[in-house]
Order: sequence, then structure tokens, then C-alpha cells
Amino acid sequence: MLDTKWETFERSSQRDEMTFVGGLGYTLIALGPAIALFFTVIIGKPFLILTLIVSIFSWLISLVLIAGVWRAFLPSESNVWVYIPLLLSAVCCQEAARRAFWHLYLKVEDILNKIAVRLSKPRLHTVDKLEIALAFGFGHGLAHVIFFCLALLTPSFGPGTFYVPGCTQMSFFLMAALTGLSFLIIHTFSMVIAFDGHADGNKSQQIFAPGMHFLATFATLVNLAEGGCVYGVSATLSCAVITSAVCWKIQWDKAGADPFTSSNLNRTHH
Amino acid sequence: MTEGSILESLGSEIVGIVTPVSICMLLVVLLVQSLTPHGSDAPVASIAMLVYDEQPTDSFTEKLGGAMLNALVFVIIVALVTFLLVVLFYFRCTKFLRAYMGFSAFMVLAYMGGGVVVLLIQNFSIPIDAITFLVMLYNFATVGVLAVFFSKMPIFVTQGYLVIIGVLVAFWFTMLPEWTTWVLLMAMALYDVVAVLLPGGPLNMLVELAIARDEDIPALIYEARPSARNIAPMPNSPHSVSINSSATDLAGQATQIPPRWRRRVVTAPPPSNASIQLPANAVNESAINQETVRPVGISALRTESQPQPPGQAQALVPPHSTVVMDGVEGNSRAGGRSEIVNIEALLDDVAGNGESGVLSGAIKLGLGDFIFYSVLVGRAAMYDMMTVYACYLAIVAGLGSTLVLLTVWRRALPALPISITLGVIFYLLTRFLVDPFIVNLSTHYVYF
Repeated sequence: MLDTKWETFERSSQRDEMTFVGGLGYTLIALGPAIALFFTVIIGKPFLILTLIVSIFSWLISLVLIAGVWRAFLPSESNVWVYIPLLLSAVCCQEAARRAFWHLYLKVEDILNKIAVRLSKPRLHTVDKLEIALAFGFGHGLAHVIFFCLALLTPSFGPGTFYVPGCTQMSFFLMAALTGLSFLIIHTFSMVIAFDGHADGNKSQQIFAPGMHFLATFATLVNLAEGGCVYGVSATLSCAVITSAVCWKIQWDKAGADPFTSSNLNRTHH
Repeated sequence: MTEGSILESLGSEIVGIVTPVSICMLLVVLLVQSLTPHGSDAPVASIAMLVYDEQPTDSFTEKLGGAMLNALVFVIIVALVTFLLVVLFYFRCTKFLRAYMGFSAFMVLAYMGGGVVVLLIQNFSIPIDAITFLVMLYNFATVGVLAVFFSKMPIFVTQGYLVIIGVLVAFWFTMLPEWTTWVLLMAMALYDVVAVLLPGGPLNMLVELAIARDEDIPALIYEARPSARNIAPMPNSPHSVSINSSATDLAGQATQIPPRWRRRVVTAPPPSNASIQLPANAVNESAINQETVRPVGISALRTESQPQPPGQAQALVPPHSTVVMDGVEGNSRAGGRSEIVNIEALLDDVAGNGESGVLSGAIKLGLGDFIFYSVLVGRAAMYDMMTVYACYLAIVAGLGSTLVLLTVWRRALPALPISITLGVIFYLLTRFLVDPFIVNLSTHYVYF
């Protein structure tokens, strides 16, 4: 895929162990929290796995739509401003998807409760609801990492590396991994915040999720500036930290108010 | 967290079938990535290329026409062999079928498996001597045949060998040239629809026959029966539903279904017209019977793979790819759920294997589905990883929707068409739209 771009690789004569380890490292940087999240929260609950797959697939559909619209107008070095409407439309599309997910979630919750009653099982617990929201968000985050980072990391396992002109500080792969990590966290936890906000009718939380998404997305525009990638990636990483902190704060306060859930919440949010 | 939360039981059957499919695809992709020189087509002769030998230099129309001819011939051969199978089954040549099944499984494991391992050994320069290798290969293949057909083994071993057979066959299929592969996949999806859904379709006849005779379907079928749980598929479940991909139609009409699967349990509880048939002792009984029962279901395996001379890809008449949901939902609860939406019905069915012991649905998927899904993903892996992820997601989504349809229509369904169509569409979309888009964005370090 990137073949034309890789022509300038410094090729080593034999299979290079270092770059293989490097590729593994990039993968783990991007996917580390995702792996932890998957194995602690998702894997034991088949329903969450299904939710995750639905969420990833819907993100892929949104990506295909956006790509289909903008494929013909892809910006080059001369007209970078095209990225602004492009990102704007992309974020709007995905925030619309978040909205749709909320309505889907309401239906799912209703059905699950009905089934639970029929099977004489407990109705959905607060933690269950949180986990469903988490799985939806995690799906979005994971999809971002898969398509914007993991799919591009394959060459990093081979010999050589790749730097984009204008960013000499770090390689293309490290950049993709770090940004992927940020967006994974942002998508995952902003979905939890948004669902929580919708459930409580809390306007500020409802606005927080799209807001943070916009902020992080437009922070990546800084990368376009000469040498701006260091600041851009710091900005997106800070967005990720803020998102998880806000999510943690909200749930912590709620858990304090409702002692029944507090012991469980710590496991959902690490 | 909450004890017995509904999230833990819902969907476990679907996950039980999606997981092995994913593992199969993952292994094929890894094999393709590590063994196929990037971007190269090294076509090997096989049955799927009887008519036309595709060359990368051929023109568009030549490739398309030739690929269509190849696919047509391949599908005709598949159909003929399946009819032959039906005929053999009709005349009760069970011994012969069993021997042939065992032989073909052995050949797949020993010959094709050996070929793949030799490639791996060469590629990674693994030091091993020939005698050790042959002894290990022989053991591997023999255990595989026993696990798949003849003896009672832990279901995990059986399932593992089924996935390995799928991986091996699919890997050899990925060696077909590009156009032939794509057209072949679509042709198989079409054939699947015809063979399963039409009354005269060979797979449909095969299953009808198997059901009428109360025998096992002669096909390679993966059964997603949870191995950890001790609830066997409910013998007394009055209903069985199957999705079936190129092989078997289990359930002609819903009304005929009840008696069909009772045979699966040696000591079947009383007939299912007793619709309140799920007392605790029934559950226990079936749990006890599980060990005896399991091989019966699993042994319904058959691959038509024929060993071929060295240097040729294995041409395989697809094992009857089938998804069968066995004993999904009891009539007993039908009254209670008539008002429920479809999805809920599915979730409900799937929830059936919970502690409540209502019902345990074992979804069955023909190995042919495993193989063709994996061929698609493996072919996508020759382009790029991005197409692999997109195709994987599309196939799983297709499989999921097929499973939803399964609970709605309650009959054997072809599992290939939806998944393969989605897979091909997403392959094209990803290759021509998403890939350039993402490469452009990410090489400018712009993300969303």
C-alpha cells in the first residue's frame, strides 16, 4: 500500500531484529491499554464482544462514507486547508453515529431487561450499563487504532523506518502509535461520559464528548506545521488524559453517592 | 461483576462460532504473510484452474472470462461430487463414506499440512531432521483423523483439528490467481444459495435424507458446543434450526423439525410433544449423556479434498458448509416470545444455554464456510493489512446477520452469500476508497 512511499527506506541486508522489536513496540504502545481493557472487561462477557464488533463495524462504515465523499478531493501539499472541512465533516459524521448509538443502546437496554426478567436474572446493573457504554466506545477507539495505526504498522516490522518530511523528531510509526493511543482513550471514555450524560440529562457531559473529539482532531492539524508534530501529539495525548480523568471523576463521584456500585467501579476504570 | 449478569450468558453461542472462524482466518493471514512473497502470484495448477491458466499479463477481459470459466467448471465439479455423495449416502455406503472421509482428512493433514510445515521450516530455517519430522507429521495426522471422525476426544481437540483442516485447505486455495479466486468465491456463494435453498439442491437433498433417516449429515461441520459447560445440546429440544452453507438443509419446514434431532442423544427423553419438557432431570440426563453424544454430532464430517500430485494446490470440493443451530429454541417458550422482536429472539435463544438450562443451542458451521471466509481474508492479505481488517469485519458482520436470520427463519441457511458479498464489497471499497484516504491523512499526521 505504502510501497511508493517506502522506496527511500534504508534497507539492511538481512532481516533486522531491531526493527521487528520496534514494530512490536509500536503495536504495544498503540494497543497496550486496549489489550488490558479487552482482557479485563470485555472478554468474559460474550454480549460485550458482540457489542464491540457492531461498534467497530459501524465505525468502518462511517469511515467508508467519509472516504467515499472525500476521496476525489484529497488535499496535497498546496491545498492543506481542505483538511479543515474534511475533518469537520468526519467528526460530525461520527458524532451523529454516537447519537444513533445512544438510541440503539436504549433499545438494547430495554430488550436486555426483558430477557433478564424472563430468564429470572437480575436486571441490568449500573456497572452493566457502564460496560455496554464502554464496549461501544471501545469499538470506536479500536477501529481508529486498527485503521489509522495497526494497518499502517506492517512495514515497521520489516527493515528500515519512515519519516515524514516536516517532522524529524519521530518516525511515522511512533507518531501513528501515539496518536492511535490517544484516540483510543478519547473515543472509549468519551462514549462512557456521553452515555452517562444522556442518561442523567446532563448537558455539559453530552457536549463534552463531541467537544473533546473536535479538540483532539483539530489538534492534529498542528502536525502540518513544520516541526509541529511534537506539539500536536502532546496536545492529543493531553486530550486523552483529560478525557480519562473526567470520566474517572464522574464515575467516582457517582460511586460515592451510590455505595452499592463503588466496589465494582474500580474494576471498570483503572 | 454482578453474579450471573445477563451480559455473561447472552451471545455466547455466536461468540462460540465467531471465535474459531476468527482463529482460522488469523492463521491463514499469518501463513500468507509469512510464506507468500509479497505481491507475487505464484499460480499452482489445481482443479479450480482446469480451463484457464491466468497470467498477470493477460488483459482484463481475458482474465474475467477465463476466471468465470474456471469458477463455472469448479462449481460444476463441486455439484457433481456432492450429488455423488448424496447417491452414496442414499445407498447407505456408510462404510465407504467413512473410510473415504478418514482418508481425505488424513491426506489434508499429512500431505497439505506437511507441505505447509516444510515451507515454514524453509522460511524460518528451523533445524529438524527428516525422520523426526515424518514421525511427528504421521502422529499429528493420525490423531487428527481419530479426533475428527472416529474416537471420542476432548471436544477442544476435535475443534482444533477442524480449524487446522480449514486453515490448510484455505491456505492452498489462496495460491490461486487473483481473478480466479474472486470469481470463484462469488460463484461458490451463488452455488451455496442454490444448493441449500432450492428443493432439488444437492445439499438440501443431503440434509433432508440425513434427517429422514435419522443419521448424521455426511459433511465436515464445526460444532460450537461449549466445551466448558456441562449442558449438552438439549436432546429434547423440539426445534432445531440450521444455517447451512453449502450443505445441508436441516429443517424443511418448521413444523417438521421436532423429531429430527432427538436422535442426537442416545437416551433421548420422551418425544417433544410434551412441550413443558425442561425439568431439571432432563438437563442432568443430557449432561451425563454429553460424552456419548458429542462424537455423533461431530463425526458428521466430510471433506472432499482429494490428494493431488506434488506441486499442485489441493483442489477441494467444499465440504458441505453448514451452519446449523441445533436445538435452538423450544416450542415450549414459543408462546411466551411471540411478541418479541427478532433480535430479542436471537439473544433469547442464545441465552438459552445459561444456568437456567432452558435450552442449549449448538450452532454448527460447515467447514466450507471457514475455508472460503479464510480464502477471502487470505487473498485480501496479499494486498494489505487494511483490507484484511475490513474484510474480516465484513465477514463477521455477515455471519452475525446470517445467525440472526437463522433464528427468524428457523431453517438451514447458506452462510456464504451474505458474508462473501459483504467481504468482496468491503474489499473493493477499502482498496479503492479507504486505503488512499487513510494513507493521505496519516502521512500528513492528520487524524480524526
